Amino acid sequence: MNRTRIIFFVVILLAVLIVAGSFLWRWLSQQQEVTAPVKGKLEVRIVCALPVEPWVQEAARQFNAEKHTLEGQPIEVSVVPMDGLTAMSRYEQEALLIDGRVPTAWIPDSRYLVELVNVTYKERLGRDVFLTDGEYRARPLATSIFVWGIYASRAEVLTGKYGQIDWQVIHDAAIAKGGWPELGGNPDWGYFKLVVPNPRRNVGGLAAMVAAAGEYYDRTSIDVSDVTNPDFQRWLGELMGSMTDLSSGAYTVEDLALFGYSTGDGGQLLESDLLVNMAGIQTRWADPLVIVYPKYVTWFDFPFTVWIGPETTALEKNAALEFEKYLLSPEIQQVAAQRGLRPANLSVPVTGEGSLFVQWQDQGAQPIVPRTSAMRSPDREVLLALLRWFDLNVAQR
Amino acid sequence: MTQRKSSGKIAVLLLIALLGLLGACFACWGLFRAVQPEVVPETLPRAPALTVAFSPEKEALFSRLVEQFNAQGFETSEGQRMVIETLRLEPEAMMDPALRGEFQAMTPDSSIWLSQLDQAWMDQQGNQVPLVGETVRYAVSPVVIAMWEDVAQSMGHPQRSIGWEDILAKAQSDPNFKWSHPSTSSASGLLATLAVFYAGTDKTRGLTAEDAQSQATLDYVAAIEKTVRYYGEGEWAVVQQVLEKGRSYLDAFVCQEQLVVYFNQRSDDKLVAIYPKEGSLWEDHPLALLETQDLTAYQRLVFSRFRDYLLSPEAQMLVLSHGYRPADLNISLDDPSSPITAANGVDPTEPQTALQIPSASVIEVVRNVWWYTKRHTNVYLVVDTSGSMEGQKLTSAQEALLIFVDQIKGDAERVGLVEFSSRVNNIVALDELGRNRAELIATIDALEAEGDTALLDGIYAAYVRLQELNDTERINAIVAMTDGRENNSNISLWQLTEEMKRGNEAGVPVVVFCIAFGSDADYSTLEIIAQSTDGQVREGDLETIQQLYKILSTYF
Repeated sequence: MNRTRIIFFVVILLAVLIVAGSFLWRWLSQQQEVTAPVKGKLEVRIVCALPVEPWVQEAARQFNAEKHTLEGQPIEVSVVPMDGLTAMSRYEQEALLIDGRVPTAWIPDSRYLVELVNVTYKERLGRDVFLTDGEYRARPLATSIFVWGIYASRAEVLTGKYGQIDWQVIHDAAIAKGGWPELGGNPDWGYFKLVVPNPRRNVGGLAAMVAAAGEYYDRTSIDVSDVTNPDFQRWLGELMGSMTDLSSGAYTVEDLALFGYSTGDGGQLLESDLLVNMAGIQTRWADPLVIVYPKYVTWFDFPFTVWIGPETTALEKNAALEFEKYLLSPEIQQVAAQRGLRPANLSVPVTGEGSLFVQWQDQGAQPIVPRTSAMRSPDREVLLALLRWFDLNVAQR
Repeated sequence: MTQRKSSGKIAVLLLIALLGLLGACFACWGLFRAVQPEVVPETLPRAPALTVAFSPEKEALFSRLVEQFNAQGFETSEGQRMVIETLRLEPEAMMDPALRGEFQAMTPDSSIWLSQLDQAWMDQQGNQVPLVGETVRYAVSPVVIAMWEDVAQSMGHPQRSIGWEDILAKAQSDPNFKWSHPSTSSASGLLATLAVFYAGTDKTRGLTAEDAQSQATLDYVAAIEKTVRYYGEGEWAVVQQVLEKGRSYLDAFVCQEQLVVYFNQRSDDKLVAIYPKEGSLWEDHPLALLETQDLTAYQRLVFSRFRDYLLSPEAQMLVLSHGYRPADLNISLDDPSSPITAANGVDPTEPQTALQIPSASVIEVVRNVWWYTKRHTNVYLVVDTSGSMEGQKLTSAQEALLIFVDQIKGDAERVGLVEFSSRVNNIVALDELGRNRAELIATIDALEAEGDTALLDGIYAAYVRLQELNDTERINAIVAMTDGRENNSNISLWQLTEEMKRGNEAGVPVVVFCIAFGSDADYSTLEIIAQSTDGQVREGDLETIQQLYKILSTYF
């Protein structure tokens, strides 16, 4: 074989090697592209109650940006806002899916919603789907209590006539046939309008009814016989008859702020929601809002609850716990306080920098909850009885 | 020497071969890329956009918001462009497509529709899981009674609060007072209807299904509804007509506050918003995600991003600039750029109180009962069957006429038909639809095109019959359609319009709606006819004629 031929074969061989190499390189890089996102990312899908959703959403964005990892895999948190009752109903129907998958964790408004879901699943599967103790137990992230939020002009008339504001006073105002003129208020105000969330759409409505029952019976614990008592139901019916609008999704502080005194003179609402909206209400409506603390309080504790079913992996569950730890860190708890929530981490004061409790003290906000009686968490049968009563007597009115 | 020459040759050959090799590599690479164009789309499939149905009265604002959102070029973390598509639908017409999953989000004029939708969805699914998911409000506007400033002043405004009962008393006592509210297919119409039912029961809260169906309420509502000039396709269309025709069109009408601002920004005349003393109601324009099984993660993400965008300061200022009250409470209505001012006929401190919204089931009863208490109609359809209508035109017109007859709800409305070509050929006498529906349908099916165009004679024939009937209780109207130029009538245009003006003053007022079908229709003649009766002219073609008849049916 002469030199020319050798060179010729060398060149051909080189050409084949280069082309084959380039194909191989491209194939490998494609394989990497396809497999990397699936294998590398730990997705934490969280269904979150509406009052804390802005805070949790912001924390999730920050958490994702900080690129937290677990066992070398990056954690990515996504948050889907959903009212606690809606989420509970979807869990019970096994219809709560995010991107076709069961959420990794749930932050409902209150721990009693978790218990209700557990009861349903226990009947169906013979076991809990959320744990109440151990590493994966539900842990409160922050609390917020239900307080009276009333337009100042209206509160002045009520306290002038009755000396205080409580459920009985609100009841008497609600049944005043002549409306505000009869109570000593301005005729243009129409009749007294109570703001309580629609309990079918916002679990805050149930909390308000439980608080009303507590005050009606003057005790912290109520049972089914209490809420099915005809005298109580008539009283509650008269009270709820002064609600203006049950058609909207929530009928909460947002409505009180957006539609002003036209649709609601006041109501028992979540303290954090009221505090967040105080400035807006003053900007939009000439009349400011005042906060009054009730004798019997109900509250939300927003527990971080990890789904323990086999639909999520152990690593995903642990990634959820990482985010839970992050939410309970002093820095993020401080942000919660700035949003009017009372931090679960007791090392974080509610009076820190930017505290809404301090800002709105003149309007009645109190950093330390005054001496009140906390209502015991109602059991499932009480809640169901209240919901049934509401459906038949208020929603169908 | 020979060896050096040979080495040089080899080097040249080697160089050529290497260059060839490089060329071959590039060619192979190019060929490879050319045959692999689907690689990128395979890993990033184009996701279906988020489709949002919106109600027509906020088209100007909503289209602008969507346009600006799409222009931002937002992307998902996977690099997919976030895109929103829109669908313009009357709120009532959103219900069925929403149940069928034809769009993933909706923004009707009021949350009332969301309750109705959830109710229908749960009935359909047989469970208690709602369809309506995350909901956000980005703009609100109270429902008001828009009235010319001097008319309002004559009723005591602004010193005295005016209420629904004042409007209703005025309408009953003054036959020249013209007022209207949209039908119950839009929130302002539904809310106005609720207000009338409340007035009929002397309540401002606690309206029950029994209240709505009691004979006393029905009699009261029917008496009030008889004073309504006519209904219509919605508040947006009414404002357009008032802008076009001015004071002669209506003295008062029900709409959202934003449209009063809109009008006053474009007219030298001035409307004022009356916030009824018994209580107003709100259009809250919710944007709601529909939790259907087919909702994709991408669509959920786009909704979330769009929600954030709608609540951004930039979007909220746009909302305010259009005369809506923004959801962002930090934006003051006293902002120097705010159009919510007394100069624009509105008052940011109002309304003081609101009527109670009944449950979805009571609202449904009110809507159903309203059809029986509303002002009924005597309407003649005047149809051109001249030779130029032959072919597809006649077929489309026939379909449109059938749709019109189908859209008129209940059997109590009276409909007649006058068919003309060279002369008036055929008349189906005016009668309640319960009695002549079959005859109307058979006549429409049998229409044939030939001859000239005796448009004026056709309208006159219908007009004379309506005047002879002398029914002041009902809305009297003619819907005349032609595709050509008048060329064969016995009556002249001048005679016809003078006759109608005289007749409308001395007898029953008859409104003529004209449809100019196709580009050859004589629009100016139709406009003269419509104007003489405070009516309207609409242009239609093969594509729009059916929708046009459907819209006109809402006036009755």
